Amino acid sequence: MTPIGFSTGALAKGDFDRGLALQRDVDAIDAVELSALRDHELLPLIDAVPGLDLARFTYISFHAPGKLQALDEETAFELLRRLPDQWPIVAHPDILRTPSLWRQLGERLCIENMDHRKSSGRTVDELRQLFESFPEATFCLDLGHARQIDPTMISAMLMLREFGQRLRQLHVSDVGPRGEHLPLGATARHAFSQLAAYVQDDYPLIIESVVPAEQIERELDTVRSVFDVVHACT
Amino acid sequence: MLLVDGPSDPAHAIVVREIGERISRIVTKDVGPTGTFGDIVDSHQLVHYIAGTRDSNENLTRRILLLAESRALTNPLVRERVIRNVLARYVVYDRSVRSRSGRRQVIPHFLLNDVVRYWRTMVSDYASKMWERQRSGWGIRNVKLRFSRKLLFVWGLLAAFSGELFAPPELHRVENDDEFYLRLAELIRSQTDVMPLELLARVVLETDDNDIADAIFTSYDRFLGVLADRDSRMKLEGVRFEESIDEPTYASLREASQRFRDGITRLFFDAHPKLPKLIRDFGVF
Repeated sequence: MTPIGFSTGALAKGDFDRGLALQRDVDAIDAVELSALRDHELLPLIDAVPGLDLARFTYISFHAPGKLQALDEETAFELLRRLPDQWPIVAHPDILRTPSLWRQLGERLCIENMDHRKSSGRTVDELRQLFESFPEATFCLDLGHARQIDPTMISAMLMLREFGQRLRQLHVSDVGPRGEHLPLGATARHAFSQLAAYVQDDYPLIIESVVPAEQIERELDTVRSVFDVVHACT
Repeated sequence: MLLVDGPSDPAHAIVVREIGERISRIVTKDVGPTGTFGDIVDSHQLVHYIAGTRDSNENLTRRILLLAESRALTNPLVRERVIRNVLARYVVYDRSVRSRSGRRQVIPHFLLNDVVRYWRTMVSDYASKMWERQRSGWGIRNVKLRFSRKLLFVWGLLAAFSGELFAPPELHRVENDDEFYLRLAELIRSQTDVMPLELLARVVLETDDNDIADAIFTSYDRFLGVLADRDSRMKLEGVRFEESIDEPTYASLREASQRFRDGITRLFFDAHPKLPKLIRDFGVF
């Protein structure tokens, strides 16, 4: 069964408690990504982790800040290192300024492919360079980002072929022209369903579509239909 | 051209004017009277209006030149994305009926036919411009047709034959049809990063025939030399049709173009290990 769930930041920007609460009421959800996309969210979330009720989630990942503004790199790294060992730490390449530091995370470091606003990690070639710097790192394939860079999904397919051994999870959402995460539209569904055949095994699907609470189940159904997930609802 | 692959923005018009002004400081020659270049180009037409009633000479020209010889001055991912979308139309979404043997169609007929159509359109338009412009500027157009336009056609043929000429062994080991055509499209896309003259050179090197290399590249070098020389170029632009055979610059280039054509013909029809069969099987019928 494919673990599936939302990023807390997609459901409640900057409010991880609400992002979790909204998912606890949905039977089909058994995965979650705790999101501290803005660096001022990092310390409060990490401090709160020991007290969070995460029992229902079989898969948990943690999204590191996308940019470092309020925190320096070393402080952010030390905070992230406090997280449970089994949680992948999803990171944008931008924050990995000192490779020797982040290499210490080994396979916990889960590098995400980027959208067109960034200057690295967008293409197969750029990812290859990154993985050369972080040989143990795992891979979070963000389908929306990959489709924004290449709507034919050739690049995404090649990413899966080349970095499939590193794949840890998928990010799923539509992505608008300015990088905004949106519910899956018809063309994204078409593109992602083409790619689904290349996704081996049951990698966790983390939905990043920004949807209101009343559309959570609908978006879940949409994503599951794309990936043809046979998911036992309890 | 300013290639727009996303939402419309009134600022695009300001940007395209600014680009035009900056380029004109370096290149004083105008982009041409047809309006094909020097403007905003929306990717939608390039991707969706391939052949059919909504395609146009202008769109066809932009599309093929985007594939054959475009380079991004900024944001190369936009160019790559549009090219991938165009090639997806040609390769991924247009497939032949699979043969009983199970062999996949390696030559994308849609792309090949569009490349041939572009070449024939250029040749026909040359005659049309001769008529409409009463032979004004005919000399330079004639010479370009003999060299650079023909080279575009050669690039298109080689790109369309990529699956036979340049395929890595793993392409033919792919089990899934969808993946095969995605990879074939990507193989062709990778040729869009190779300048036409360089792609031709790669193929010529496979013949080990120095005479062919000499016929093609020495004559092309002569063509480039004349175009780079202001006085010679002006002679070509001003040469009268009736006096052309006695005009030394034009006459020498005409002779060089015959060597160029001869080299290309021998490459495609005789000397290369694969091209003669490909051109026989797919070039005409």
